[in-house]
Amino acid sequence: MKSKRMGRSKSKKQTGRDLSRRTFLKLSALTGTVLGASHLGGPFSVDADAPSRGNVQAVPKEEWISSSCLNCPARCATRVRTVNGRAVQIVGNPLSHVSDGKTCPRAHIGLQVQYDKERLRVPLKRMNPEKGRNIDPKWAPVSWNQALEEMAKRLKSLRDGKQPQKLLLFYGLNTVSGEDLISRFAEAFGTPNLISGNGLDTEAEKSGNWMADGQYTPCAYDLDHTNYILAFGADLLESAKPLARYLRKWGKMRRENPNRTKVVVVHPRYSLTAAHSDEWVPIQPGTDAALAMAIAHVILSEELYDTTFVKQWTEGFEPYKKLVLSQYSPKAVSSLTGIPSETIERLAREFATTKPALAIRGKEALNWPGGSYTSYAIFCLNALVGSIDVPGGVLYQENPRYRDLPPVEEDEIAKKSKGQPSLDFHGTDKFPAARVVTNQIPESILEGQPYPVEMAIGFSSNFVMSAPGSKRWDEALRKLPYYVHVAPIISEMALYADIVLPATTFMEEWGYDHSPPGSGFAEVKIKQPVVKPRGEVKAAGDILFDLARRLQGSVARSFTGIGDDSKGFVKLRTSGLMAWEEFSKKGVWIGPDYEFRKYKRIFNTPSKKFEFYSGNLKSLYQKMGKKSEDEKTYLPHLEDAKFLGEKEKYPLILLPYQPLLVIESGSQNYPWAQEVFLPMHGIGWGTLVEIHRETASALGLSDGKEVWVESPFHKIKARVKFSEGVYPGVVAMASGQGHYSYGRWQKGIGVNPHELLGADYDRISGQAAFFNTRVKVYKA
Amino acid sequence: MPRWGMVIDLDKCVGCQACSVACKEENNVPHGSPEEQQWKREIYWHKVIAATNGRYPQVSTQVIPMPCMHCDHAPCVTVCPARATYRREDGIVIQNYRRCLGCKYCMVACPYGARSFNYKEQEEEEYHHPDLPPDRSVWGPWPYPTRTHGVVEKCTFCFHRIDKGLKEGKKIGKDVVPACVEACPANARAFGDLDDTGSEVARLLSTRRPIRLREELDTKCKVYYLLK
Amino acid sequence: MSLNFTTIEGKSRGYNTLLAILIVLSVAGFVSFMVSYIEGHQLLGSNNLIPWGMPIVVAIYLIGLSAGSLILSSLTYVFGKEEYRPISRVAVFLAIVLIFGAMVGIGLDLGRPEKTWRLFMFFMLNNMRSMFAINTILYGGYFVIGLVYLGSIFAGRSKMTKMMGMIAIGWAALVHMGTGAIFGFVAARPIFYSPLKPFEFLAAAMVSGLALLMIAIVVVFKYTKREYDQKIIFSLSRLLFALIVGLVVIVLIDKLTHVYPPDREATIWLFTGPYAWVFWGLQVGCAYLVPLVLLTHPRYSKSLKGVLAAAILVVIGIFGERFALVIPGTAYPLPFYPGKIEGIWGATGTFPITFVETLMSLGIFTLMGLFFILGLKYMELLPVTETKEENPRPA
Repeated sequence: MKSKRMGRSKSKKQTGRDLSRRTFLKLSALTGTVLGASHLGGPFSVDADAPSRGNVQAVPKEEWISSSCLNCPARCATRVRTVNGRAVQIVGNPLSHVSDGKTCPRAHIGLQVQYDKERLRVPLKRMNPEKGRNIDPKWAPVSWNQALEEMAKRLKSLRDGKQPQKLLLFYGLNTVSGEDLISRFAEAFGTPNLISGNGLDTEAEKSGNWMADGQYTPCAYDLDHTNYILAFGADLLESAKPLARYLRKWGKMRRENPNRTKVVVVHPRYSLTAAHSDEWVPIQPGTDAALAMAIAHVILSEELYDTTFVKQWTEGFEPYKKLVLSQYSPKAVSSLTGIPSETIERLAREFATTKPALAIRGKEALNWPGGSYTSYAIFCLNALVGSIDVPGGVLYQENPRYRDLPPVEEDEIAKKSKGQPSLDFHGTDKFPAARVVTNQIPESILEGQPYPVEMAIGFSSNFVMSAPGSKRWDEALRKLPYYVHVAPIISEMALYADIVLPATTFMEEWGYDHSPPGSGFAEVKIKQPVVKPRGEVKAAGDILFDLARRLQGSVARSFTGIGDDSKGFVKLRTSGLMAWEEFSKKGVWIGPDYEFRKYKRIFNTPSKKFEFYSGNLKSLYQKMGKKSEDEKTYLPHLEDAKFLGEKEKYPLILLPYQPLLVIESGSQNYPWAQEVFLPMHGIGWGTLVEIHRETASALGLSDGKEVWVESPFHKIKARVKFSEGVYPGVVAMASGQGHYSYGRWQKGIGVNPHELLGADYDRISGQAAFFNTRVKVYKA
Repeated sequence: MPRWGMVIDLDKCVGCQACSVACKEENNVPHGSPEEQQWKREIYWHKVIAATNGRYPQVSTQVIPMPCMHCDHAPCVTVCPARATYRREDGIVIQNYRRCLGCKYCMVACPYGARSFNYKEQEEEEYHHPDLPPDRSVWGPWPYPTRTHGVVEKCTFCFHRIDKGLKEGKKIGKDVVPACVEACPANARAFGDLDDTGSEVARLLSTRRPIRLREELDTKCKVYYLLK
Repeated sequence: MSLNFTTIEGKSRGYNTLLAILIVLSVAGFVSFMVSYIEGHQLLGSNNLIPWGMPIVVAIYLIGLSAGSLILSSLTYVFGKEEYRPISRVAVFLAIVLIFGAMVGIGLDLGRPEKTWRLFMFFMLNNMRSMFAINTILYGGYFVIGLVYLGSIFAGRSKMTKMMGMIAIGWAALVHMGTGAIFGFVAARPIFYSPLKPFEFLAAAMVSGLALLMIAIVVVFKYTKREYDQKIIFSLSRLLFALIVGLVVIVLIDKLTHVYPPDREATIWLFTGPYAWVFWGLQVGCAYLVPLVLLTHPRYSKSLKGVLAAAILVVIGIFGERFALVIPGTAYPLPFYPGKIEGIWGATGTFPITFVETLMSLGIFTLMGLFFILGLKYMELLPVTETKEENPRPA
């Protein structure tokens, strides 16, 4: 009995325990497996791969090669580290004095330029006869021979028809050696139409200088020794040239010199430069000349000017003084510029009494219809305080003395067409002092004036994006019968090409370069291939040599005896500077030290002195029969700003600006630049519409939402940002985005504010005006 | 034992971001895309921020470069369960990718947002360094040649340069500096041994009053800023 | 009344359908985990500002539920309240399943899940100052203790059970206070940083665990056609009320402290920003206010439906509380420097709900559900009342 009961209950108990134990074991087994499985590694663990990689890292072949950068016109000297034939690091060349061996961030981005996966590899021919912004050109690869033969045929026919002037040559950012070869080709071929991008840059600065001292070049400044900088619309830390020099000298000026240089920025926009300066003076756009004259007023009326320099080395002081004192008192300009007169007086006193001081001009002040006079007015401030060719003042850049080339052989055809007017009307009544009027070209092509264009070649130019009034450029390019584009990438201008020739990047070609005026002394930097060229690319220089040979005759002869290819050309031209071996190793040649106070040599004016009353302009006008009775024409003064668009319809003023990370080669397809594009706003990959907070809320906009920005010419859409750093009534937008031709990292990203601009010019210099277009902004 | 630190002079800094780009170049840090920036998944070992104060026209924007602060009391070191991030004797806070589980606790704890998570298999670019010494392969504190996704990465003060320099007997802070310090065009950054009275960083710290970011959290970070 | 425990037969249509659904969803969750493992966390919603996403929210939620459930089982085994004995085995088993699910959840959130074993290398490879590392000791130990506890219950060793029960209560409290400490000790995130976080988590654990237990009992007993004394549920509901009040007090103090300087912006943003609906709607509304009303209402507090509604609301609301902590807690931008930080560094984070992440999180829940109903089938968890029926009715 007992056993039975026990047996029964025991079995029940046993079953229960068995089951539970079994379950328990199952559960723990499951747990254990899960915990242990992860330890088994498996295909996702990288440890398995490590040993094979260890073999690859056997003995890497490393080389440091001296070259220079070409992501902007500063052309800083660099040293490139290559490992196993691939470029992996770019640093500045410490031997360069222009920027003490430092570079801006774009030099490093050269790696992404070089290894851009979407670069051109082979020459392309257009199969789709239709041309337009959104039209697929239907590129077909062709051989170099085919492409160049086709080009040569057309060029020959132009010469045979005795119309070589109908060849239009564009060039954007190329090496100086490349530019030398392009202009030699133009001369030998016989076309006066050599259009650089300078007309979009700082021609007004040059003309202002020329009116004062006869030097049609931008200024160099002695930043090492200056104690005060008054910057008018100058983005010293973003787009001034040479930029790396400003970046390096900024650090020196602020904390490495015995005196800390004071920097005051006068600008309608709180730029990166203004953020780092000591004072930001917001100014009504287009009124910088008035401010400069008002500062002169204070300096003159309080007799703070450098009497020695003014008496000995200037001319025209009396008419200048009369004009300034009669019309430009601080009170008179205060409401016009939006700056309180006390501020103007204080700045003037600081500027005049801190020695040495510099007044530096930049695009936002100069690229207006009255820009030459603004440039003149600001430049005169430097003369007033005696900052001309002294330590800490304005310098006169020494240029390198390259070996002279044999003269170009000009045959009859070339000689005749040299006398033809150029397409950009430079040096004519329209633009009397101009050397190049880039933005005039679309009108000339469209109207066929002074004669129609038959063929154009563009060397790394992208004016359709960088020039104001993109629509006109689109139409003009569409009208071109035949266009060849030479560049490493398919830029927006190349979309209109009939043939695209793949050029080398600056890391694959031979060249010599010197920085735009900046340091005072001369410095030449070499460019040499640091890596093997990709695909079938050729340097622009080599293409020209090839074309010249195919054209035969005088053109071919002009290209003989000068080296036979770009390497030889560079060797020849730099042979006077230093030994070739040394030059290619060191990468930099530096000229003699700068000599100050060369007053007997530097003034290229009728009086051989600095002129407050421009003799140069007067004699030029006389020659052209444009004499003016108004004395003001030859003096610095404010030209009232003329705007495109009526104020009632378009109440705001557009201010496009160029952030530092714009790669000026026509492409922005570089993620390192795109990611951190706008550091003041902490964003990348796009454009912002920056409007003063009150203006924006008065328009009923919401911060961060999309808005339309519309000018009389075009409209674009972007996000608005309520800003504390923009003059009321001004719309600031960064340029450099809005690409549409190619590029995984740039196509369709951001917008291009230049499309909104209308075409206007500073008449004297031909500088395209960028800041006088009115716009309206409304919700999208 | 040296205590490596950095001094950034904000009066000399020009906000050019050469430091950020050079860091990416030196350490093969992958770049992002517009979507990744929108969703905050871009990898930044070094970032440059802008802080705005004031209203027009008395506005002031301070542009501040921020590497990893390599704090002496690093919150990330305290919270890492796998000891994948730890402070070396010489003060550099190292990230060991082999040990990192990707739990992201360090990212939550870092007050400076210095850490980034690797969210996907990154593309290998032709300009990446192929030549890291074997002892820096995936067995240790280096994700190259292929970065594994799923781990956290951050600025390392270019310890590979420092270790190599020490081995070769070079002077750290003069001949050998991290990539960001080397690339700065304005010479605004200095690197060196904070405890060495002869170093540049020690000298700079005595010239003006230095500050550290988020001092109230007492992380004892080793990146100092000299204000304008 | 003597109590015997038994399994359920688990052969009915309803059971099999449920089983099938849970298996399918668990597999889907596993597949989405594998996809995110291969493709990387770009498929999830987390980012550099909000590093922790849904799997962590689910994990801490489950830990809370587990700890709460286990503590409540101790009412019977430690404090000897016999009226709760019928539900106590289920409570312990539920706790074990839940902590397992929580550990799975944590594992899923790791960037490199194959290194999960590193978490268990206590004192050898781990940094024991990290709350995360301490917590893995706690979770691991908790799991083991739970199993031993359940084992001793099955073995009927009441003395050992009582001892394990006491250890279990203490350990469960430590587990969830430890989880709270993971958040509470992080100074960089102002919403996290508080010495009250461990207590807040413990209180939330008790509340949610109890509510879940109540729902589980009612649902399981109903679908297995068992009878139980409804007085159990009502007395638990009174306990729930008290626990909710305690939780509300702690949360109130914590949030009130954070509204005072320093670092109050993040908390103000939580109250008024895009995630305000999670805080006010789910946490305060669903978890605190409405259940408090229901549980004190003269009519609803006495009806089973009312009490059950309160419990369901609590369960949902406490999930919202976990979410409102983890995601808005990290979404507020870090104040590197005084002033307005421009652009992406100063923008609040967004946490997109992605398909892969949702499936993965759902998969954790369904995996636990799967284990739970399998446990009901194969383990003697449910009571059978011998006075009523000789054999249990099939489910």
